[in-house]
Amino acid sequence: MKNLKTTFGILLFTVLISTVSSCKNDTKKAETDGSMQNMEMNSENHDADMGHDNSDGHHDYENATSNEERDIAASTQKNSATSEIVDSYLQIKNALVSDSKDGAAKGASMMLMAFSNFDMSQLGEAQHKEYMEIYESAKEQAEHIVKSPIDHQREHFETMSTDVNDLITLLGTDKTLYVDYCPMKKVSWLSETKDIKNPFYGSKMMTCGNIKSQIN
Amino acid sequence: MKIFKKIAIVLFIVLIGIQFVPTTYNTSSEVLETDFTKIYNAPQNIQNLLKTSCYDCHSNNTNYPWYSKIQPGAWFMEKHINEGKEELNFSAFGDYSGRRKKSKLKSIISQIKDDEMPLSSYALVHRDAKLSEKDKTMITKWLNNIRDSLQ
Repeated sequence: MKNLKTTFGILLFTVLISTVSSCKNDTKKAETDGSMQNMEMNSENHDADMGHDNSDGHHDYENATSNEERDIAASTQKNSATSEIVDSYLQIKNALVSDSKDGAAKGASMMLMAFSNFDMSQLGEAQHKEYMEIYESAKEQAEHIVKSPIDHQREHFETMSTDVNDLITLLGTDKTLYVDYCPMKKVSWLSETKDIKNPFYGSKMMTCGNIKSQIN
Repeated sequence: MKIFKKIAIVLFIVLIGIQFVPTTYNTSSEVLETDFTKIYNAPQNIQNLLKTSCYDCHSNNTNYPWYSKIQPGAWFMEKHINEGKEELNFSAFGDYSGRRKKSKLKSIISQIKDDEMPLSSYALVHRDAKLSEKDKTMITKWLNNIRDSLQ
């Protein structure tokens, strides 16, 4: 009886103390790099800075613009500066297509990293404001995707798709992408393949959707 | 028995001690121009619903019942409120970019529909905060109208 009381007392004490101390500790989610650090520019970014980057002389510069009301001129450059961000987006997209929550979370972490690596000094003033707005939103979606179950991830992916599409409209991309439309969710997503593989429904409704337009 | 007594005394001292640690209270009597209910001209019933079920964690003004002022209760609340406001602050909604407004409206509707919000732990203690099916239909209808008007 004596031992039981002692054990119980110690247990209660430990529980209460850890409850109290955990309140004091900052258990807030770790702030992934919110500050835009000027990371070392890689050579690709450098080239983009030099203006028109196309030594190949490609003719097709089709811009996927679903936002006609946008008054900031869409970049027709094959801009590789957004490469890392777009890659991480496609990572999330493909994970959701495969019904992989962990893959999507991983892609979202990559996106947060990509954003913190992005060199904002190359942006003009008007672009900067728009960029910050997109960045703020996409970052929030990515943070949620990192820690959510798959149906929530898919919800945030809807907004993220609009954000990344707008980013490409603003700054361009060096990839060939297809703007696909999901008639159920009434939202577009970006894909690197012509085949329709729906990230919002995955295996439940894999081929639902159609190509709206093509970028590059 | 002796150990148990000692622990109890230490615990008691700790509990009294933590009452003296200062807490910032989230209170403000101002209704800002940027308040959600103002910018969208929310009818009274919607205003009441938002204030009862949402505003404690998602605005600049929290209603603190007496028991929530006792530690560690106040700390728990502070954490909830900070996280809640960071996620969504109805008092500052007018300051959000157009993009963010649309995104948040979408999330608010979805969270209410999925019964994720208000938090069940919160609704347990604040019985009047729980949203009935009727409440949910009413508010999501109103919110969808707002959302449509922003497109």
